[in-house]
Order: sequence, then C-alpha cells, then structure tokens
Amino acid sequence: MTFSVDKKIKISEDIITEYAAGNLSPAKHTVVACQSEICEEVSSRIMFQEQIAASMIEEVQTKILSPLFMGNVLANLPPQDKFSSNNTNIENNSPRTLSHLLGCGLNEMKWKSLIPGVAVHDILGNRHTKDGDRLYLLKAKGGMQMPNHGHNGEEWTLILKGSYNVGDKTFVRGDLHIEDEDEIHSPHINEGEDCICLVMTQGPLKMKGWLPRLVQPLIGI
Amino acid sequence: MTFGNETVTIGSMSDSESKTYSDSRRASPKSMSAAKRDAHWLYSIANKQDARALSELFEIYGPKLKGWLMARGVGNGTAEDIVQDVMIKVWTKAGSFDPTKASFATWVYRMTRNRWIDHKRKHGRMDVRDPDLMKIIADDEVQSAEVNFMAQQNSDILKEQISRLTKAQQMAIRMAFMEYKTHKEISEETGLPLGTVKTRIRSAIQALKANMAKHIGQIQ
Repeated sequence: MTFSVDKKIKISEDIITEYAAGNLSPAKHTVVACQSEICEEVSSRIMFQEQIAASMIEEVQTKILSPLFMGNVLANLPPQDKFSSNNTNIENNSPRTLSHLLGCGLNEMKWKSLIPGVAVHDILGNRHTKDGDRLYLLKAKGGMQMPNHGHNGEEWTLILKGSYNVGDKTFVRGDLHIEDEDEIHSPHINEGEDCICLVMTQGPLKMKGWLPRLVQPLIGI
Repeated sequence: MTFGNETVTIGSMSDSESKTYSDSRRASPKSMSAAKRDAHWLYSIANKQDARALSELFEIYGPKLKGWLMARGVGNGTAEDIVQDVMIKVWTKAGSFDPTKASFATWVYRMTRNRWIDHKRKHGRMDVRDPDLMKIIADDEVQSAEVNFMAQQNSDILKEQISRLTKAQQMAIRMAFMEYKTHKEISEETGLPLGTVKTRIRSAIQALKANMAKHIGQIQ
C-alpha cells in the first residue's frame, strides 16, 4: 500500500457547518457521522460547530411542553445503562453509526455481487428508481481498476477499509472523497486488501465504454 | 430563562461591544454557571438516579428543543416524541456523559438533531431498505476526539464570544444555524452567489474560532 505525500484530504468547512446545523440529507449526514467516528480531525471540527449550533438554540422561540409531558416521561423511565462510554467503540472496523444502521458489523453483512470483484450492500434509497440520495456500501477487490465513470450528481465516498488511488491522490481509511458531476474517474484499488467504502450517490452513474453501459441497467448502479 | 438569580442568555450586544474582541474579558462567573449547573444535574442523574434532576434539566431544555424542532417544520406531536426520546436517552446514558469533552447543551442538541434527521429518513421520500434494522444514528456518546478547548465551561465562553463578533459575522452565524436552510437554498433565496454565502459563513466561523483560541490561551 502506498501513502500519498500530498497533504491530507480534508472536507470543506461548509460541509461541517451544514452537518452541525442539521442541513444535510439523511444519507450525507450518515456519511459525515461515520467519518467523524474514524477521523479525529473531522470530529473536533464538528464538535466546535455543534457547540455554536447548540448555543444558537438559546435564540430559538421556545415551545411549551404539554402539561402531561413531564409526568408521562418520568413515570416510564427505563433502567439506566451501567456502562461507560468506552464499551462499544468500533466493531469490525465499522463506525457505530453504521453498525446501528446495518444491525451488524462489516464482517457479518451480506453482499450482493455486481460484477466480478465488486459487491454492494444497499442501506438507503432505491437503486432502481434512482430518486434522491442513495447510500450503500461498496466492496472492491484489491488490485482492481474500477470502471471509468462520471456522475449525474455528487458522489461521496468514505473509505472504511483498504485504499485506492485516483490519479496521484491516495484515499485511505477515514478519508471522504467527494466528486461532483463534472468529474470522470476510474479509481484503482490498491493491492493487498479489499477496499470497503460507504458511498452516497445522487442519480445514476455515467458509465464510460460500451460494456459497463450495457450491464449498468442490469446491475442497477 | 433563569436559574436561581442567574440569567442564562446569549448576551445581547450594542454596536460598540460588537466591533472587536480586543479586551478579552474572561467569562463572568455568572455566565459560567449554566454548564456547571447542567453537569451537576447530570452527575445526580448518573450517580443517584435522581429523576428530579432530569426533570429540572428538561424544564429548561425541553421547550428549547421543542422550539428548535418546530422551527424546522416538525409538528407538535412529533416534536414532543423526539424530545421525549432524547430525555429518556439522557436518563439511560447519563453515566457516559463526560463534561470535559462537551457541554450538556451540545450533547442534547446533537441527540435532538440526529433524531430529527432519523425521523426524516424514516418518513421522507426515501425508500428505507429494511425498516426493522433502521436504528438511530449513534449519538448517545460524546466523541472521543482530541478536543483542545471544548471543555464544558467553554460553551458559556462561546456564547459570549458570539456576542462579540461584528454584526455582519453574527448574521452569518445565524444564517448558517438558524435559517434551517442549506447554503444552496440561502443562495437561491437571497440572490447572493453560493460562493459568497459560503465565504461569509466560513469567515464568521473562522473569526469565532480564532477568538475562542485566543481567549482560552489567555485564560490558561
């Protein structure tokens, strides 16, 4: 595996702000939540902006809780958790947000093969209606070259395991790789281990070449 | 909103106060109290199973959180359901709350925001693959990041620092966090280019961050 000497890929401050304010779509929000669990740099940037967002709540017009609210909640409190915060961090390389969504760790999940060497697991959205943001996990075999493709919208890829190269840039675990609709790329998965990514796409991919275009409707990417 | 004799608000500011942050006053004991008070209640909830402390906390935060949700277009019933869910989580997870990592206000805001996004995910137009597996975004524990100056008392300093930004910077912060719109939507509605919206918000946040760092540096 090679590591880029380029400076670390950083997500923009705008995304952090939109995340902290709660303005991202559920799929994008999930991607950033997962990144914050495995990338401390992002986590502390988020923390600062969440602190601002929390302060701003002071300025929101309050809404009185209904008279029975407090009594109802207090009468039905469940037992308290006995564990401290460190008991469940990352299971099988999987951020907790993702494990909660999947109901299992990365190692136990079921994959659906797309083309030889590439498998997916859908999380949110509908691959066939291609409506709105889609969220899925993608697993690609070490050493393979992904088909050349562009996008009809943004593509956000959070690397959970393994690494890949696009041009002279290397993306490793914890990096969030964002491409807009103008970009065409063909990631090369680095040798050694499979690469697992959490991917958010908007609209169908634009495949280059006759073979990928031919199989695209069948595999639904 | 008051607690005892102590007012807990973001300081309103006059023009003269807002211009610079050069005198770097320390946060007054008065403004330090909210986070300490919350941490004290959290301690009672976690260590003494003190349901009264929980109710005290939510007498204060419940109406704010409900207000935030309703400002974002959530209906009355759903807003209360979300606040109830958050309140129960505070009860069950109080032991995992670490006041050296974040303030209670930030923790409870994060939970509310995440539950609201979770609600959108479940009830939006998105096709949820497997509803049985849909669970909440993990937010019940404070991230274990290296947080340089985000100890709990700093939430109060932050409020003071926001009030010391210029009017334009404060407006940008409000635009980002209180318009409940994406940068793109703000750009479309105001007619400002998207790049301008982003730059204004980003530079206001940078200014705030710089002031905070300076302020903390002077305290330590």
